[in-house]
Amino acid sequence: MNADLEKLQETNKTELERRGSIFNIGAPATEAVTIRDQIAVGFGDGTVRFFQSGSDPKTVKAHKGVVLCMTNYEDHVLTGGDDGRFLKISSDGNIEEIFNFGSKWVDCVASHKDTKVCSSGKTVYIWIKNKDKPQTLEHQSTVAGLAFDNKGKRLAVSRYGGVTVWKLNNNKWTASNYTWKGSHGTVTFSPDTKYIVTAMQENQIHGWRINDKADLAMRGYPSKIKSFTWVGDTPYLVTSGSSDAVCWPFDGKEGPMGRKPIVVANGGKELATFVKALNGEKAVFTGFTDGSVLLAEIDESKKPIMIRSSTGAEVSTIAISSDNSQILIGDMKGSILLSSLWADN
Amino acid sequence: MYEGGIYRTNYKEIDMENTSQVPVTVLTGFLGAGKTTLLNRILTEQHGRKYAVIVNEFGEQGIDNDLVVDADEEVFEMNNGCICCTVRGDLIRILSGLMKRADKLDAIIVETTGLADPAPVAQTFFVDQDVADRTKLDAIVTVADAVHLSSQLVDHHEAEEQIAFADVILLNKVELVEDNDIVKVNDRIRKINPFAKIIKTTRCDAPLDEIVGLNAFSLDRVLDIEPDFLESDHDHEHDDDVTSLSFVSDTPLDMDKFQDWFGNLLRTKGQDILRSKGILNFKGEEERYVFQGVHMLMDASPMGPWPKGKNRSSRVVFIGRDLDNMNLKEGFENCKSA
Repeated sequence: MNADLEKLQETNKTELERRGSIFNIGAPATEAVTIRDQIAVGFGDGTVRFFQSGSDPKTVKAHKGVVLCMTNYEDHVLTGGDDGRFLKISSDGNIEEIFNFGSKWVDCVASHKDTKVCSSGKTVYIWIKNKDKPQTLEHQSTVAGLAFDNKGKRLAVSRYGGVTVWKLNNNKWTASNYTWKGSHGTVTFSPDTKYIVTAMQENQIHGWRINDKADLAMRGYPSKIKSFTWVGDTPYLVTSGSSDAVCWPFDGKEGPMGRKPIVVANGGKELATFVKALNGEKAVFTGFTDGSVLLAEIDESKKPIMIRSSTGAEVSTIAISSDNSQILIGDMKGSILLSSLWADN
Repeated sequence: MYEGGIYRTNYKEIDMENTSQVPVTVLTGFLGAGKTTLLNRILTEQHGRKYAVIVNEFGEQGIDNDLVVDADEEVFEMNNGCICCTVRGDLIRILSGLMKRADKLDAIIVETTGLADPAPVAQTFFVDQDVADRTKLDAIVTVADAVHLSSQLVDHHEAEEQIAFADVILLNKVELVEDNDIVKVNDRIRKINPFAKIIKTTRCDAPLDEIVGLNAFSLDRVLDIEPDFLESDHDHEHDDDVTSLSFVSDTPLDMDKFQDWFGNLLRTKGQDILRSKGILNFKGEEERYVFQGVHMLMDASPMGPWPKGKNRSSRVVFIGRDLDNMNLKEGFENCKSA
């Protein structure tokens, strides 16, 4: 490489790339979650690495194969892997095996306060407080997504044919079924817990109003939706799966019914693969198939800001530290950008 | 029900010939035919390659290999208006998980249960974009029991489907069958599926490179269709027997007429057409067109100019049920350009 080209590439870097650190891990980044001032990232080589501004990441050899799913739990992370293990990991490298499912994968994890949840196959396993023996919830097909509402009272379980919402009363779980033909993946409650929303196999989003089970279909995407995030006070459900970040308004009585979404952060030929809200702002980070990331306000008249330039590998995760000071972006080739969001940091 | 606004953009084209796609071999066959023997060979032989194997209820075999994935077959209907479009939900989940591995796999083998219909497995590779981007269907390999296949074909339509879908058939346990009975079984297979490669084996002892890495679903392999068979004889016993029909034409075809006929055929009869393949010579087109389909789903593409000095003949093959009642010959003849 000649010096001019190096210079050119240097100047093509974004502001965040210039002031941040880039790590090449060599395995796809699968999930990232924030624990206080650290960001934990799971990788396709089975490691969980804890990133913190100003120091090298701490590496924990957690799973034999791929870290398939991860969530935060108190000061720890919970992970599930294709080695059948459900683990609780602290940033100092301490690993506690909560359960070993053998040759079955641990596909999904969730947590709320002192409750740890994972799924393997068609069964959801729930550990409340420090009880050794989990409660189990059975489903008709493999569990594809888990989500607690913000109070931890209800647990949504997505699967083929819809979502089962489990409610805990007097130590007993009761099920309520929300049905829609097709296969449902990732699931989320709206922040006001009035809606549940899933990303479907069929390039669409499906939602239900919880109190009357009214259906809500959001269609027209050119690819599968792999990621969504709630943004702002409205709030907007911002989704990947198109060449823009597609933002559906969930205000009022009817939510997005009969309304058009706002589209921001146009990626041209690239498709959005990961979206992440900037906490406290009406703005969203959108990662694309080529590795680039844009920051956009939910306002079609505003221009987005380039946060990360193209790496050639699709953005697979984005996390923001809990004090909104650091951003971490990971891609399918294992390149990690860790940078401060604000210039004066 | 209420609905949000409809949001539309252009589809991004998928690069089907992407070289970084990991090949996936689908292994079918009736219980007891020898699938497990073959899997054990793939897992234990020193071939210097990294294969992941997706199995059903394999746990009790006690094979200690972290590349063996235990799956439950889950057939999902797609909510996309295509009435026979089913996919394997478990496969979508597991393949996407395997693609996140740090180490590169040379191939993935998917074992299906004895009574499985191979169509949802094959359709998964046409329907799911992530699966199609990162993996490719390499071939459907069916292990058949030379002793029992004839009776299984009578009793179980799944056995017929497994033969019909196959790119390679291991006719196993030939050591237990008289030579003239092998000829009979061979003929029976040929009547259902005229283009599968048949390998006669004892304990599935075929070289692995004749089973894995065949690229049988790549469109350019359609060019290997042999033109030397025509309409099969009509002596099958039941209307729901799986048979094959093929047609050849030296007269160039009219592209519009063919698209109308073939599109309508797949839409209305796609449930009964298990597989279709063809090479087409369209009037006014310099390039050969090839297609191959599984039920209603189809891949098609121009495939370069015709070889010099060779006959520009169109040939199509159908494998399916009730083919006699689809007016295939008449429909194909009507596509000839005036």
